Amino acid sequence: MSTILRATGITKNYAIGKQQIPVLRGVDLSIKAGEKVALLGTSGAGKSTLLHLLGLLDAPTSGTIEYDGREVQSLPVGERARLRHQQVGFVFQFYHLIPELTALQNVLLARMMDTSVLQYWGKRKQAKASAVEMLQHVGLGERLHHRPTELSGGERQRVAIARALIAEPKIVLADEPTGNLDSATAKEVVDLMFTIQQERQLAFLLVTHDEGLATRCDRIIRMKDGYVVDQDLTSDEQAR
Amino acid sequence: MIRAFSPFLALRYLITRRINILGVLGVAFAVWAMLVVDGVFTGFVRDIRSNVESSAPPLLLTDLPHDSSFTVFHDALFDDPDVVALAPRLRQHAMLQPIRQDQRTRAKRGSNQLDFDHTKNGFAMLIGIDPLLETKVVSMSAWLRRGSNEIARYGRDESPSKVFDEPDEERLAEMLLPDRVEWDMRRRAGMPHDPDINNHRSSLPGMLMGWRRVFNLPHIQDGDPFEVVCASFPGGDGENGALSMRTTQKPFASAGWFGSGNRMFDAVTALVPIEPLRTMLGHDIDDLTSIPLVTDVAIRPRDGITGNELIALQRRLEKKAQAKLPEGSKPCSVLTWQEQNSVYLKAVEQEHAMMTIVLMIVMLVSAFVIYATLHMMVVQKIKDIGIISAVGGSPRGIGSVFLINGTVVGVLGSLLGVAAGVMSAIWINPINDWLYANYRIELFPRETFDLQGIPCHLEPSWVIAVAIGAIVLSIIVAFIPARKAARMNPVTALAFE
Repeated sequence: MSTILRATGITKNYAIGKQQIPVLRGVDLSIKAGEKVALLGTSGAGKSTLLHLLGLLDAPTSGTIEYDGREVQSLPVGERARLRHQQVGFVFQFYHLIPELTALQNVLLARMMDTSVLQYWGKRKQAKASAVEMLQHVGLGERLHHRPTELSGGERQRVAIARALIAEPKIVLADEPTGNLDSATAKEVVDLMFTIQQERQLAFLLVTHDEGLATRCDRIIRMKDGYVVDQDLTSDEQAR
Repeated sequence: MIRAFSPFLALRYLITRRINILGVLGVAFAVWAMLVVDGVFTGFVRDIRSNVESSAPPLLLTDLPHDSSFTVFHDALFDDPDVVALAPRLRQHAMLQPIRQDQRTRAKRGSNQLDFDHTKNGFAMLIGIDPLLETKVVSMSAWLRRGSNEIARYGRDESPSKVFDEPDEERLAEMLLPDRVEWDMRRRAGMPHDPDINNHRSSLPGMLMGWRRVFNLPHIQDGDPFEVVCASFPGGDGENGALSMRTTQKPFASAGWFGSGNRMFDAVTALVPIEPLRTMLGHDIDDLTSIPLVTDVAIRPRDGITGNELIALQRRLEKKAQAKLPEGSKPCSVLTWQEQNSVYLKAVEQEHAMMTIVLMIVMLVSAFVIYATLHMMVVQKIKDIGIISAVGGSPRGIGSVFLINGTVVGVLGSLLGVAAGVMSAIWINPINDWLYANYRIELFPRETFDLQGIPCHLEPSWVIAVAIGAIVLSIIVAFIPARKAARMNPVTALAFE
């Protein structure tokens, strides 16, 4: 399978006053299409920062990020946003749904990101149908018009998953997606994510503290103090 | 290109966040205030100008020496092809005192002219006119009609004076009342009169008073006699080098009232025939050494004269008049009706300009309200900005959410304000009447300026300019928080609590 995401020598420093605080100190990793990778590490290890950099929400201090072999870390912000929309789906621990929108509208919103008003107007029925289908797929067919405040934690995370998938990304970056759920609901959500991952052959990078969850992934990357301290290398990487 | 999510989210925020209503109402209020207040002021200025124009001759030759003769100027000025009529005017301060003998108005021992009216004094600016010539320069019939209409508002149903309808030119020149009217008056007032009405011929010159002098004196009737007292300085020093002053008094008969539309003019002026006034000032027509004395000459230029031609005519007439004055005389002036009332008109215009500035400030305050509400929304929506970024929203698209929001607030506020402003302008008088009837509240002191109703004139171009201005201002102030939103770091935004 081809590598869809590769990060090489990633560092990230944050400035606090005049002092530069290194958060990532040279991270290398790659993810193949359809691969499930768990990113484990203690708090402050730099997992979320790495996830944001890989998701093009922020730019690294140094190092390169490649999507499908194309370096993207220094693209203009608008171009990075477009690429993020096309390639990446985010799932967050705290769901991050827009409270004014219903479940359906939250999902639809992700379909509107790179189309103009006129283009969207022309295919609005099709967009709505696919959003409804996606929500039905995650088991929320009856909760389409409920706002986030009217949904349970598990339901909110399902909406977030549907939103992450609606634009048909190649990789889903999930930042502790079960961290805010009880264990039964967490299991349901993880099962759902992995089912969809299997169906669509998506790449998954899953930030978690849960060793049990990590073992369900194809590969585990462990981080500590801004370094990758242990990772099961793929055969390509081992060869390199 | 506007991304589809920008208007979608903007409208959602607009509907769900009540603070936007504050922005809409702020813009609507500012637009409403600008339209109504400016509409009233524009209408007010127009009415005031119209009133002032009708109260003054189109051109007035003035600043003449005290012993100027009308004959001298008449020939020189009437020569001009752009002049169609001239009328002599003689201004003179005077005191008036009614001389009726009934109980209500009888002069008491020690009383003075202030008894004439409890609210206004008995001083008057007499303007001596030649009725035959004056009616060719100024629309006297309109003045008389207006005077009657104004008096009617105070419950006195009296028809306009007919003093200028007199067919006999000699009687017209003296503004004499019909013989029967004067005979009745003499009888009532205990003045000398022939017992047989058929032998009586009117002799008291008529006097037209501004309606503001008499509107609350219901006992003043047509023909009522007034003693007019003038003081003049005939020339030469008196004892010990002091100026000698001569006072003369002469009875005149009330011939009705006029309304020029100029409050001050209608309060202080009394029109009298010019010859009796000249006589009082020592220039009796039968005296061979006397002159047809004038202080001003009212001039009517030809119809259709352009602004530039009028200015040229003014300068020409000034030159011709000056040439007739003794050498070393102060320069005379030919003034348009605007120049004759320049202080008053400038004050009104200045008030209008000041009010426009105040309204601009109101508009800026409403713009600040939009800025404040949008800024607050951006702060409240920082996490949303991070979410939108995470799902692929571009910075420009995120900025557009808030820009569209501000624009829609501006458009809605403008439309609401225009609708309310136009409706208020249309209904301002019924609203004012209702407020006055129920709460004794007047929105505008219309009686202070002798206006029949609250004047309101909305220029369509002004309505459009205000509406567009409000929208543009809304967009400008929305741009600042929109830019802040667009520049926000998505990671920081997602971490915001």
